[in-house]
Amino acid sequence: MEQVRERGPFSPLSTVLYSDDFDTGLHGWTGLIGNYEDRLDNMLPQYRDLRPPMLSNCTVWDTGTGGSANGTYAMKLATRPRCGSLAVGIKRLTYQYAGLIQLEARFAFKPEATQLQLSETDVGSVGLLFDLQNQTERVMPHLRYLNAVAGRPVGRWQVKSRPPHFADIGNSGKTRSHFHLGPDGWEDLPGGDQLLCYNEIATKLNWHYLKLGFDLGSMSFVYLQCNDRHFDTSVIEPMRMPAMANLWCMLNVAFWAEAGTDRRALLYLDSVLLSAEIPQCASA
Amino acid sequence: MRQCLTAAVERDVVWEGEFATEPWEAAWASEAIFFVRLLSLESAPAGAGPLLEARVQISPDGTLWCDEGSTATLEAGQSLVAIRARHFGGWLRLCGAVAPGARLRVIAYLNLKE
Repeated sequence: MEQVRERGPFSPLSTVLYSDDFDTGLHGWTGLIGNYEDRLDNMLPQYRDLRPPMLSNCTVWDTGTGGSANGTYAMKLATRPRCGSLAVGIKRLTYQYAGLIQLEARFAFKPEATQLQLSETDVGSVGLLFDLQNQTERVMPHLRYLNAVAGRPVGRWQVKSRPPHFADIGNSGKTRSHFHLGPDGWEDLPGGDQLLCYNEIATKLNWHYLKLGFDLGSMSFVYLQCNDRHFDTSVIEPMRMPAMANLWCMLNVAFWAEAGTDRRALLYLDSVLLSAEIPQCASA
Repeated sequence: MRQCLTAAVERDVVWEGEFATEPWEAAWASEAIFFVRLLSLESAPAGAGPLLEARVQISPDGTLWCDEGSTATLEAGQSLVAIRARHFGGWLRLCGAVAPGARLRVIAYLNLKE
């Protein structure tokens, strides 16, 4: 019973790489910044103002503190009140075995409740990515839930597969950068329409379950589940590019929120669990 | 061991006129220090006096704000100023004004401790 209570709805693979409940801190989740040399202002402009994660007890003006799904605190990603603004939380590891990994999370998103309106199309999108590298390629599986565009509800999962454009940073020849979180290049996940539980006013927060499986051996999607929906990931591809100089065995996970209007978009994560299938001989 | 966190609430931005940092949730913390680091003086102020006057604000919900009482100034020749606050409830931000005519390129940090 103890294990069930601690892990909530999660069903991890054989090895838990991390199980982060934000009641006990940010656990290594931090803000994302672009690459730079010598000066901050030579990073790609889209990276200059990605808002960092904070710990939230989910307090709203009308009912006070709601707390998280399984405790008091959640990791919160809050954009600026500007359409297109992004908030990103990232956690950086390396992997010990190139097999199946599984990311599970309980999440919720809302606009900042600064008006007494439903505001259900104010959050543009929320998303997640892996940033991975093996001996030959860097692979960046990107998925997002496109909630709305310009006030029009969408409600669809999307994937970004196109290789990014790289820019040289500084003069050393060692630093490059690419911006991969922009609104360009997203394609619909086939069968990816899904209506999530927004609820009836901007201050009511419902938590969602998410599970993503990815194979580090074949560098391909294996499964995606959100709440009661299981999506076919066999037809989608992650973003791929040649291996880079200093990223061997990289295993990064990031979540983000994007404002769809000039109102803050808020993505909350109650907890995040990353697990892996590691054969006994490989873990010894 | 107590939790402690430093957030770069503004990074490499230019402040002129009035400013306010983004709302930051701090319910888990009992003490806070805002730091403002001057990266460069983009434009000098028109007159004498401090380059920047800042004050801590608190909020019940992250949308409505009032002064907490802690204030500080960044004087000419200084590159770093700190403002301490305690007993602030759930939300914090830093607001204030830059001296008329001045433009300051800054990083603002919020350090929180349990």
